[in-house]
Amino acid sequence: MNTHLAIFQDLAKALAGSIDSRNQGASRLDEELPSHRFWQKEVLPLLLSLVGVGMVTAVLLPLGQPLAANLVPIAYLIPVIVAATQWGIWPATLASIASLAVADFLFFPPLYSFQVEDPHEVIDLMLFLVVSLVSSNLASRLRQETETLRHREREIQQLYEFSRRLAACFTISDLISAIQNYLSYALGQRVAFFAATAGGRFEALESNSLPMVVQESVAATVAATDATARSMVDEPTQNVWLLRTVRSDTTVHGLVAVNIGRGSREVIDLKTRRFEAILEEVSLTLQRLDIERAMEDAKLHLQAQLLRDAFHGTLSHELCTPLSAIRGSASVLDSMPAIREDARIHSLVEAISDEVADLEAYIQNLLNATRVTASGVSPRMQWADPRDIVNAAVKRRGRRLAAHKVATAFARDLPLVNVDSGLIEEACGQLLENAAKYSPSGSTISVSARAEQEQVIVSITDQGVGITPDEQQQLGRRSFRSQRHQATIPGSGLGFWIASTFVRANGGTIDISSRGQGQGTTASIALPGSTMKASELTALADE
Amino acid sequence: MNKASNVVLLIDDEPKIRRFLRAGFELRGFSVLEAENADEGLKAATFNTPDLIILDLSLPDLHGTEVLERLRSWSNVPVIILSVVSNEDDKVRLLQAGADDYVVKPFGMAELLARSEAALRRYFKTATENPVVVAGPLSVDLVGRTVSLNNNQIRLTRKEYRLLHILATHVGLVVTHDQLLKDIWSGNQRDNIQYLRILVRKLRQKIETDPNHPRLLVTESGVGYRLQARLENSSAD
Repeated sequence: MNTHLAIFQDLAKALAGSIDSRNQGASRLDEELPSHRFWQKEVLPLLLSLVGVGMVTAVLLPLGQPLAANLVPIAYLIPVIVAATQWGIWPATLASIASLAVADFLFFPPLYSFQVEDPHEVIDLMLFLVVSLVSSNLASRLRQETETLRHREREIQQLYEFSRRLAACFTISDLISAIQNYLSYALGQRVAFFAATAGGRFEALESNSLPMVVQESVAATVAATDATARSMVDEPTQNVWLLRTVRSDTTVHGLVAVNIGRGSREVIDLKTRRFEAILEEVSLTLQRLDIERAMEDAKLHLQAQLLRDAFHGTLSHELCTPLSAIRGSASVLDSMPAIREDARIHSLVEAISDEVADLEAYIQNLLNATRVTASGVSPRMQWADPRDIVNAAVKRRGRRLAAHKVATAFARDLPLVNVDSGLIEEACGQLLENAAKYSPSGSTISVSARAEQEQVIVSITDQGVGITPDEQQQLGRRSFRSQRHQATIPGSGLGFWIASTFVRANGGTIDISSRGQGQGTTASIALPGSTMKASELTALADE
Repeated sequence: MNKASNVVLLIDDEPKIRRFLRAGFELRGFSVLEAENADEGLKAATFNTPDLIILDLSLPDLHGTEVLERLRSWSNVPVIILSVVSNEDDKVRLLQAGADDYVVKPFGMAELLARSEAALRRYFKTATENPVVVAGPLSVDLVGRTVSLNNNQIRLTRKEYRLLHILATHVGLVVTHDQLLKDIWSGNQRDNIQYLRILVRKLRQKIETDPNHPRLLVTESGVGYRLQARLENSSAD
């Protein structure tokens, strides 16, 4: 008896499993034939419940009449309960009625007739029917609940899988493919994604043919309008399509259209809610991606800053120390009488000094460039005489300007300027160096300072190659170097960038003008001057 | 200078730097002591009483500023700072803490020697000595309060003379803006650096051959002014 029961259960499970898996398959694929589904869902369970009744009968028959009749109420409950738990109320009811009929026919006298002699036995059979119907009802309800739970669990499982995939998304395109995969495979629904373009429009990512009504709706959507939530019906197929925006807090990333098929209002509502829950999850992920990107940017920024600081520290210490030793040693050698007497050795010592000075200038350039941090330069403002600044710049670039004539001219009564004189001196120095670089040896570089409408203008004019309008536009970019000079004149392209950054940090402006190629260049620095005239100050200062 | 041989103490952790400093100073007739850290340096300063200390700011055991402060708590010995920091605020802070002058690495030996000698001259100056300071074509009689340029006496206003007087008593050495402002405008104008700039401009008109290109009264950008002891050649060291 036990073995029979086990076999029966296994068989039922196997059958139920196959039906279950087909059911799942059916829910995945809308295209499955309706008649086939009806056969699987409705007819087969009825037949199987009858088979179950038949199997119990086959077991009872050899036992002989009185024993079998006694076992009837218990034995026939088995196929009824199995049918109820596996296939629901209708196969169970059918099994109950079939069991009643078969038992009456085969095991209650008169045998092989549906009549029953003994009134007790009539009561027994009726009782059996009532018990089996009630228990099949209960069991089938239990089955339904289990089914619902399982279904929910599966949904939750899928959603969980989906959010896990979302958590692993590092780019927007990862995210889009996750949404598409999830919606298409897990929900069995057709999904189309439209990416937001710069023009405020949406563009389909793949050229799938979508219903006209969806395409028109997408075309009518403008990114600027908030939270598009539309549903529409594709007339030819009667499918309902939903259209929603995919967005994070700050940006709209695109539109997603999903086909949720046909069905009753409840089914459509349910699917809509589910779809919206998924989009909610997506928008959370997008937010996370936004935050991550911002953090990544901040991290890079910080690293750059640290690198710059390290570079600055290394340059100013590790490079300056050997440089000091070389320069200092050369200067000591230079002052030794024995070396001064020998022209050859003396020229070698001078060569060392000159090269060190060049190296020093390059390092100073790099140090200046690292001083320009992302937040700009922080100048230490102090009232200064523009003449002092210009003179210091000319003096410090003395070696670089040695091949040129430098003519300085200062207007009388120049106002003082409130600047970081170190930075402005460096800016002037860079411009002087450029003037020397891009003009022939022996030509004149004129430096002048004059007052103009409460501003002090320092101009540096050379007689060199000039500048084309095209080059003028590109000036000021870090590391810009004109194609014309790249092969012939060495340089890093940092000079003008440093100069303009330093001048701007002091509230000034820098202007480059040229009458054209080969006509020389004038670089002018305009700095805010003191509102007090120098003559007024003189009276106050010396009273 | 005024002794047979001045003793200079070099406090620097870099042997390469000490080597050329030693050579440079010995060539100029100094006797040289060396210390490679602050601890040794302070001991040497106490027991060997040098006439001049060359102090590097970045020492392994103690920051140079700290060494300077400890030295200044008991000694007036001239101190010249070697620094890689070309930051004006730091220079001013060091000068206020009692340094006589500074040179920024990399520097030439001539520059350091000029500063050193100026500091020694000021340190050893006594009242009995000639009270006339000569700076190139300029001579300032600190007692007679007269100024002459190429032997022609020139007239200065009270404040112009005051400025020149302070610079002349520190001839060859830098004097900070703060110190000048404090000594010239002791009252409420002492923060007004614009006045100082203009006063310097006026003084230059009177003492410089070309006031637009001053060679005597030179500007130390962001720090102060310096009266050069002698006219520099136009090519800088």
